[in-house]
Amino acid sequence: MSYTMFSAFEFKRKDTYIHNLDPRTKMFMTLIFMTVALLFTSIVPLLITFIATLIPVLLAKSVKEWLSSLKGTTMLLVFILVINSFVRDLNFAVAMVLRLIVLITAFSAFFLTTHPDDLAQALIQMKVPFDFAFALSMATRYVPTLAREAQTIMDAQMSRGLELQRGGLTQKIRNLIPLIIPLIVNSVRRAMSIAESLESRAFGAIKKRTYLYQLKLTKGDFLFLCFLIMYFVTMIYLKFYFPFTTWMEWKLPL
Amino acid sequence: MRGMLVVLIEIKNLSFTYANTEEPAIKNIDLTINEGEFVLLTGPSGCGKTTLCRCLNGLIPHFYNGEMEGDVIIDGLNTKEHPVYELAQKVGLVFQDPENQLVSLNVEKELAFAPENLGLPREEIRKRVEETLQLLKIEHLRHKAPYELSGGEQQRVAIASVLTLKPKILVLDEPTSNLDPKGAEQVLKTIKKLNEELNVTIILIEHRLDLILPYTSRVVLMDKGEIILDAPPYEAFCSSIPEEIGVDVPVSIKLYNELLKIGMKFNKVPLSTKDAAELLTEVLK
Amino acid sequence: MIEVADLWFTYPEGTIALRGVSLRIGDGESIAIMGENGAGKTTLVKHFNGLLKPQKGTVLIDGVDTREVSVAKLAKKVGLVFQNPDHQLFSSTVEEEVMFALKNLGFTSEEIKERTNWVLKFLDLEKYRERSPLSLSGGERKRVALASVLCVKPKILVLDEPTIGQDAKQKRKLGELLKKYQEEGNTVIVVTHDVEFASKYFKRIVVMAKGKVIADGPPNKVLTNPTILNESSLTPPQVAILSYEIAKKINNFPKDIVLFNDLLQEVITRVKR
Repeated sequence: MSYTMFSAFEFKRKDTYIHNLDPRTKMFMTLIFMTVALLFTSIVPLLITFIATLIPVLLAKSVKEWLSSLKGTTMLLVFILVINSFVRDLNFAVAMVLRLIVLITAFSAFFLTTHPDDLAQALIQMKVPFDFAFALSMATRYVPTLAREAQTIMDAQMSRGLELQRGGLTQKIRNLIPLIIPLIVNSVRRAMSIAESLESRAFGAIKKRTYLYQLKLTKGDFLFLCFLIMYFVTMIYLKFYFPFTTWMEWKLPL
Repeated sequence: MRGMLVVLIEIKNLSFTYANTEEPAIKNIDLTINEGEFVLLTGPSGCGKTTLCRCLNGLIPHFYNGEMEGDVIIDGLNTKEHPVYELAQKVGLVFQDPENQLVSLNVEKELAFAPENLGLPREEIRKRVEETLQLLKIEHLRHKAPYELSGGEQQRVAIASVLTLKPKILVLDEPTSNLDPKGAEQVLKTIKKLNEELNVTIILIEHRLDLILPYTSRVVLMDKGEIILDAPPYEAFCSSIPEEIGVDVPVSIKLYNELLKIGMKFNKVPLSTKDAAELLTEVLK
Repeated sequence: MIEVADLWFTYPEGTIALRGVSLRIGDGESIAIMGENGAGKTTLVKHFNGLLKPQKGTVLIDGVDTREVSVAKLAKKVGLVFQNPDHQLFSSTVEEEVMFALKNLGFTSEEIKERTNWVLKFLDLEKYRERSPLSLSGGERKRVALASVLCVKPKILVLDEPTIGQDAKQKRKLGELLKKYQEEGNTVIVVTHDVEFASKYFKRIVVMAKGKVIADGPPNKVLTNPTILNESSLTPPQVAILSYEIAKKINNFPKDIVLFNDLLQEVITRVKR
């Protein structure tokens, strides 16, 4: 079990322009990038979008983490490349791979730079019910705990002779039982324990809860939002109104 | 110097049987605790200590299903008739594993959590958070996440996070179990300070008695669901009961009891290792 | 025999857990590995059964390099019991739980039956044979977890923090059990920060701090040394504190007693003079 696949989406505290942006601004950013990526099917515009999506990642000084996530999805990307070259052609396939990379990067840029607590607060200020937002931030808070616990359970069972690599498919599936049952049992126990602690701290006392911190949009946010809107408008223009020149339709020389 | 004795906790004929079990977890509990007391609650595994703690802030009967008989009255409030969130403002309950108590992603927000739940105005929450950070000397941990803290720091934050509701009573269920000796000492020092300087009533479940016994005013010993001994520390440990039921008797008292057996006489019972050293030094001179 | 030579280990996130540890543990020894949380104790013992492989240096178990054998193979010789029994228990009966390791390690059905009976008796769990392990109390579950590893009768038994959450009686029973197992010729190693338990039941104390071994010797030498204790954030056992304090004022009083009975005898002898 490797941690690298998750590390692209795990928040790391850094002091960068992007990290300090309001989560709602960043949500908008991810939405814009996602929409633009879905607009195009040719390589060049997608390449432009990819570079645009890379900018926040660079500004957030989080290139290493983003690269490790891509490493984790190489199999998927190769799969997409192969399938699409058969379904359409190689150009389309490359474009689709680019599109997937853009999507991953767009989400990565959000999760790497947004504190789960801030995300929950943003949702609350967008009128999402507290229980839901809280459940979300709790889930994020306990992901590393559960990952650690899963590793310990695996260590414990391996120390009793459990060999995960051995045997055929049915054996491999049966080998998961000594891993899954303790994980589930412990998760339920932990949930009860957390619930007890929450209850003892007046959780759910009244409907109208107060919040120590409120998120406020700053000048930095408005600046970024302007750029996003300009970018979006430009891409829309390119897609629908700009006369298509050959360089936009450039295909791989094959 | 404590003022007039105010009864804060009154437990009358309390029994509780968890749902789907046959035997009561606790039975015939009668206990009265005054403000400012430091009560050590101890006994072998399974004796009902944790169940009793849950009765003190209303988790029993509101959160745990089962049959409850008798009454628990906290600062005038009968726990059967008041919800947990009301009782939480009288009794703060701290559990064994800090991992399951620190739910926020930084210390400041953790401390704000409880008063936020009560809908207190923001300025009041800010005030309480600052006061508590200062009280426990954890201001430097303000922006840290739980995983960035040592075990001892985590438990102190857990204590702080219930103190923001300003309870008069603090109940701690084996708070040092998962901690190394350094962490345990930090936590016990904090508890001691809260009792001595702020008159917070303490009910502590603890196995490592040598560190805390000198500061307690009362020892309540439980076994098989019942209270079998309720006395000041020197009285409680002079009997053979603690050793019989499997409670860890501090070495100073064990030594004292053994020397009494061979006919030696002392004028006081050494509750701490320091006391015992002084006593023995006198004897051996 | 465990031979650790200049062992270095760094976790993927970058924490350097072991910085050149060298250690030799002979057959039949009883050892407590101590130190504060994060000193590297658990990382070290995970090398004994191959869960972790050395990045630099070597670990030899009875002459075999752990990098050349699988964890399953080493599990027959080195039994590792983890701190939280709930990380191990998953079967419908205690009996099945015990048989899990035996089945994995290729014992014959005769041996499985024999060993299951032995371990259930040894740990006083016979009355729970048909019960579900998850329905037992905390202390009982800990015993079942121990049984599920002990049934293999490993020559080297390692326990990670076995005394957490245990009351005095349970600790005493465990200590005596481990002593008995060691007297049968097996090596018993515990990782703990419980100085009372360690000084009472173990003959050799290895203290670690920040990834290195900073002390290795009998309890009365190691657990009474203020520099060692300070560096490892351990406190001395109560008996040691007492003897030290008394020795300050009374001439010739030994200042490094760690066992209660020794202290009692010393005091009684002097009083009778």
